[in-house]
Amino acid sequence: MSFELQPGQIAGLLGPNGAGKTTTIRMIAGYLLPDAGKVLVAGYDTASHPVIARQSLGYLPEHTPLYTEMRVGEYLSYRAKLYRVPSDVRKRAVDWAATRCWLGDVLKRRIGTLSKGYRQRVGLAAALLHNPKVLILDEPTNGLDPTQIRETRQLIRELATDRTMLICSHILPEVERLCQRVLIIAGGQLRADGSPAELTRSGGSRYFVQAREGRAGEAEHITKLWASLPFVAEVTSRQAGDKPTQSVGWLEWTILARAGSPDLREQIASAASQQGVLLRELRAQAPTLEGVFMDIMDKAGEVTTDPEAAPKGTEA
Amino acid sequence: MTGTGTIAKRELAAYFRAPAGWLIIALYTLLSGMVFSIYILRTGSPASMRDFFAVSGALLMPVVPAIAMRLFADEIRGGTLEALLTAPVSPGSIVLGKFFGAMGFLTCMFLPTLVYVATLFRVANTTPDPGPVLCGYLCLYLVGAAYLSIGTLASSLTGNSTLAFMVSLFTILGLLFAAAPADLAPAPVRSVLYAIAIPPRVGDFARGVIDLANVAYFGGITVFCLLAATCALELKRWG
Repeated sequence: MSFELQPGQIAGLLGPNGAGKTTTIRMIAGYLLPDAGKVLVAGYDTASHPVIARQSLGYLPEHTPLYTEMRVGEYLSYRAKLYRVPSDVRKRAVDWAATRCWLGDVLKRRIGTLSKGYRQRVGLAAALLHNPKVLILDEPTNGLDPTQIRETRQLIRELATDRTMLICSHILPEVERLCQRVLIIAGGQLRADGSPAELTRSGGSRYFVQAREGRAGEAEHITKLWASLPFVAEVTSRQAGDKPTQSVGWLEWTILARAGSPDLREQIASAASQQGVLLRELRAQAPTLEGVFMDIMDKAGEVTTDPEAAPKGTEA
Repeated sequence: MTGTGTIAKRELAAYFRAPAGWLIIALYTLLSGMVFSIYILRTGSPASMRDFFAVSGALLMPVVPAIAMRLFADEIRGGTLEALLTAPVSPGSIVLGKFFGAMGFLTCMFLPTLVYVATLFRVANTTPDPGPVLCGYLCLYLVGAAYLSIGTLASSLTGNSTLAFMVSLFTILGLLFAAAPADLAPAPVRSVLYAIAIPPRVGDFARGVIDLANVAYFGGITVFCLLAATCALELKRWG
């Protein structure tokens, strides 16, 4: 695995559980050392210059680990000291981060008494304190309510203007809305890399067709008919409708078109009428990031790779 | 070693944020105070703190592992170790910070016992010799530091603080009773067992003798265990 992230860009790291997202992020953050390959943070090798590399980086670990017995203000001040924020600007840095993360009214509260959403914001504030060039956030909106999610997205966009950001998330729409670049990993390998629009274009449209099954064996005939159409990549069929009694004899097909193909609805409809197949529904669905993601996962599942395979080189 | 002071301060404060810290100090003060008032503050007994130091030293055996057990085990279990290891501080600074924080707590635990010393100097008919008293505190510190480093090492190896407590307690017991089976052992092993045993060295301090070999012994255990704990932290980066 090898990739480089640019300042001013929000990159999203996507992948199923166990794909190596957290391992990759932990290597960039310097919590784990790579078995092979290199990680450079702001130009510094995390293995040979660990302290300065870590100082250039703000990191919000998964599950936001915090000292629950400390008060919010104390904790932020402690983290600022650990990151060597000079004492004359420390208070201002704490106030700034606390304000940015809407913590002003809980600075005196013990972290253990805070809700999950507030804790998440404390973790985020702690990652921002030293104004790092690189920010890595593992599930930043985890546990937040819809308003806070919107505010956090806005905050992330503002922070990204002069920083390099890597966000790890399993919420696809969030990554789609927030990130200019999406990295999809599975089995410890980079499977796709591009802007959400590019990735979405790389997927094909889907068509949902409900048609009448007349005599036995016709279903197979219809499946073959769809598969014989140009631009069709894959055809799957299943019993139509939720209530079988309403849909006796009706079957539903999902036709996956190849990337970049024109609208196939006309072709499908005319092929059906020529062959005397009765259509009840014909619906097109534009390609989505989710569809692309699922396709990549399906392909990754077929070519099973060593799950222990270590990411090779990452640069931020 | 930047960050050591910051971590030490947080660590010391953490003891006083939980009731356990106050309880440990209270129990230690109570038990050592009972020894002081029953055995030392008695008409006719010599003006010496010897019994107090003997019992205080023995109390360190269960108390110090209890102080040390949470140092890393809690961070490993709670996941905060990740936030600590990704901060721009070296593993050595982290271990030293934790150790000094706990030593600070040990100091807070010894402080109330100065009242006993002051009392003895006040009520004794013959002014007590300050030498053995200073020597006694030095010994408490050295033994405390050695026990604490053993506890720090045990804590850095596991996310289970009870296990860390048991491991350090049994290691300390091993050092305390190392000399017991020595007479049954062959000559080369026997001399090793005598060398690593704690009681004869504490005995020297109790007599008011500061032998550099004894200081080096406790210092050596401390340095060795803290270095080993640093290696244990460094190893976590290799997954």
